[in-house]
Amino acid sequence: MDDLFSDIPKKIRSKGPLPLPGPQSEEEIIRDANKLLGANVDLDCRPSFLSAGLARNFVPSMVPMIATRGEFLTSYTPYQPEVSQGMLQAMWEFQTMISELVELPISNVSMYDASTSAAEAITCAVRVKSKKVEKPNTVFVSELVPPHRMSVIQNYTQGVGIEIIKLPHGEDGLLDLEKASSASGSCAVYVEQPNSFGILDEGLMRLREIVGEKTAIIVGVDVTTLGLVEPPGNWGADIVVGEGQPFGIGPTAGGPIYGIFACTKDFLRLMPGRIVGQSIDTSGKTAYTLTLSTREQHIRRHRATSNICSNETLIALMGAMHMALLGPVGLEKLSTRILASTVRTMNQITSIEGVELAFPNSPVFREFAIKIPGKSEDALSHMDKLGVTAGFDLGNWWKDKSSWILVGCDERTSDLDIKALKDALKSWVEESR
Amino acid sequence: MTGTIFDFNGSKEAGWSQPDPITEDYSEAIPPQLRRSKLPEWPRASEPELVRHYTQLSQKNFGIDTGFYPLGSCTMKHNPRLNERIVQHPGIDRIHPLQPESQVQGLLAIYYEMQEMLAICSGMDAVTLQPVAGAQGEFTAIRCIQEYHRERGEGHRDKVIVPDSAHGTNPASASMCGYQIIEIPSAHDGRIDLDALRSAVGDDTAAMMITNPSTLGVFEPEIAEATEIVHNAGGQMYYDGANFNAILGKTDPGRMGFDAVHYNLHKTFSQPHGGGGPGSGPIGVKEHLSKFLPSPIVGRREAMEDEVGVADGYWYNWVTPESTIGKVQQWNGNAGAVVRSWAFYRRYGRELETMSEHAVLNANYLRHVMMNPDPNLQIHAMPVEGCPADLVKHEFTLSMSPLKDTNGVTGKDIAKRLLDYGYMAPTLYFPQIVPECLMFEPTETESKEVLDKFAQDFHSILAEDPEIVLSSPHTTPVGRVDEVWAARNLILRYNKSQDLS
Repeated sequence: MDDLFSDIPKKIRSKGPLPLPGPQSEEEIIRDANKLLGANVDLDCRPSFLSAGLARNFVPSMVPMIATRGEFLTSYTPYQPEVSQGMLQAMWEFQTMISELVELPISNVSMYDASTSAAEAITCAVRVKSKKVEKPNTVFVSELVPPHRMSVIQNYTQGVGIEIIKLPHGEDGLLDLEKASSASGSCAVYVEQPNSFGILDEGLMRLREIVGEKTAIIVGVDVTTLGLVEPPGNWGADIVVGEGQPFGIGPTAGGPIYGIFACTKDFLRLMPGRIVGQSIDTSGKTAYTLTLSTREQHIRRHRATSNICSNETLIALMGAMHMALLGPVGLEKLSTRILASTVRTMNQITSIEGVELAFPNSPVFREFAIKIPGKSEDALSHMDKLGVTAGFDLGNWWKDKSSWILVGCDERTSDLDIKALKDALKSWVEESR
Repeated sequence: MTGTIFDFNGSKEAGWSQPDPITEDYSEAIPPQLRRSKLPEWPRASEPELVRHYTQLSQKNFGIDTGFYPLGSCTMKHNPRLNERIVQHPGIDRIHPLQPESQVQGLLAIYYEMQEMLAICSGMDAVTLQPVAGAQGEFTAIRCIQEYHRERGEGHRDKVIVPDSAHGTNPASASMCGYQIIEIPSAHDGRIDLDALRSAVGDDTAAMMITNPSTLGVFEPEIAEATEIVHNAGGQMYYDGANFNAILGKTDPGRMGFDAVHYNLHKTFSQPHGGGGPGSGPIGVKEHLSKFLPSPIVGRREAMEDEVGVADGYWYNWVTPESTIGKVQQWNGNAGAVVRSWAFYRRYGRELETMSEHAVLNANYLRHVMMNPDPNLQIHAMPVEGCPADLVKHEFTLSMSPLKDTNGVTGKDIAKRLLDYGYMAPTLYFPQIVPECLMFEPTETESKEVLDKFAQDFHSILAEDPEIVLSSPHTTPVGRVDEVWAARNLILRYNKSQDLS
């Protein structure tokens, strides 16, 4: 064995074995994994209202069972289409379902998550638009984009000279449309529907008339709204991005999940990520293959439209299965269930004296912000001890909102959960008096 | 031909069963203008129809589970099912990344153990598990290096050097950070050309990105000299860990002089590739870069009396590095991939080097048997080595040029014919510096019998009637796919009117 490594110069050879513990058997590893993972408090073992960009969803049993068939699970990127027709067709169908969902003609086969998808949508829009607008390299981004996503956007845009300008909102949590007109002439605007407070902002549907035809409109969506809410493709969006996770996989401690990326034809040749196209084989039979690969790093190298290579295909496959199981009617019902849970939870807990809605007049989906007495941090910790995960401390995102809690609901929120939340909030209000 | 999923045309009311909404009191909740006018044209299919549809699709997809997958640079090793079993635990599947530390002590303990293990294996001082793919790891490390230079008042360094044999992600990642790319030619034997490197570096050098062993599968003996040249010019050295499977426990990037490294957990540590992802691309850095790492990483302290945690005496917590570049992924990386890789690592522990030993043994053995066919066989033309080294590491390249010159059979034709024999094709036409290149990486999990049979079948193909090879594959679900047709017609989604089938 030593001879096999004789090409490594002595001065850089490792000295002795790695200072690590000894090997374990499968049985011992499962024992340890159960001990460690069993020490975690999972979302399903108690009432939970934590969402903030990920969903405590229900994934149909078929999805993980069929998606993890070895032929899917253990395959690589389908560079050899003749023996990869299964994944290629499934991804082409995925592209179609995403395209239908957001009402835009093109979809890729996934990005890493909602944030990298938003960031690469911005760099893509700048590539397409910069030479055609009065304000090249300038993008306007909603100030309500959560800080972790802003940080990803900054990392992806800082080096290539893109200036990010924030779009302000009014007291009602809605985009200030008058000020949004300053984005006219820029490469792109990026807004989210619903926004970080769960607000569905009807004003966004007027963005096209406000920013004009030349500026790209990029919209981040909660995919589960789209059984009820008009998709951005129908009101002028050029690119739609978002977190695909609610379709396909549990929150999984934040990954692997997948970002969706859909756009109009204008962006096709400069967009990031893999794309599957239909084709024919030598006998004229329908077949599928990766296409437009000349945009990608393995061919275009430093001139590629993105560095993305590994993506989240397997999770997108789970998403495709979940979407197909739902069907159009199932999607509408899922959206309706989440909306109903949101409305019910909101109505119940705002009846508590001392608990107020931060934006009482704006329509919301999945999430809404409340103001409570005292610090959210203390309140959440108090309620945690009562066995309720009551939401997210918005003070973590914005310092001036340290007594705001973002309450997240979902299709699984039950009346018992709501009662537990209500009791816990009441207890906190009394405690803080 | 399996029909598309859109061929199912069930009842309009079909749709997977769900409970009813918990209240009917929502009708006013969405203003009329915001309401969706027409539902998406999604499939209308039942569960049994979908199970059959996707099962049939899976049968037209080749994975490691199906057969030998010698795809160079991709490290297609066996994916233990142990890993898949563990990630089904609700303590990972049903965890939200924003839960308080007290609720996720077990996950943080696994993160901490992985950070420590990866630091030890690479000779680095600090590790983040946040990047979710190798390319994102490269991007993250180059961002840290960029901030390091800026903090030292050397933000004018605007060039990143890569060898012409580098993975395409290297220049693409550096370019996304705003760097100009200087590509230096390899020496005639595929190794670093130190003279070319010396003339490329300068006070504008931010970093050099390189993988070792190189993409030719050959260890760079002069890596320490290369490192010195770049460091003397004030640049940082970045190690592309795609080929880490070759050297684990034998040497490490720290000893070679690197400042930053990424790991591909989906290669070296058996996270399944899943048809193209998910991956996981943690990075390790030396002390001087550690304060720039993305936020957060996991730290630990001694537990206090009322803190039970995972009962190992420690309390784990999220830590924000002092001058962090912020986030590159929304949450804390692909936690599911980290946990799978943790299970894989635990299986080896301190014996991880045996993994690299077997990977290298397999590659050298396969290279030997492939280059030494049965002398009685009438082979049209033997390939030549992509690199004339005595030893390779985990992978090797062969140039099919002699065959192409003899009868017109290209590397691509051989790759397609291998599919007929029940193998995945090797990596094709990479690195671009080897003409008609095929790149083979058998990994440690293949047996001698598999490698012998593969070499034998490869030789049979070399002796076959060229017409059979040129028109291959013959036994796959579809024949050779017309990629030009796809790019010309751009049918990127299902449309009723354009249905070909």
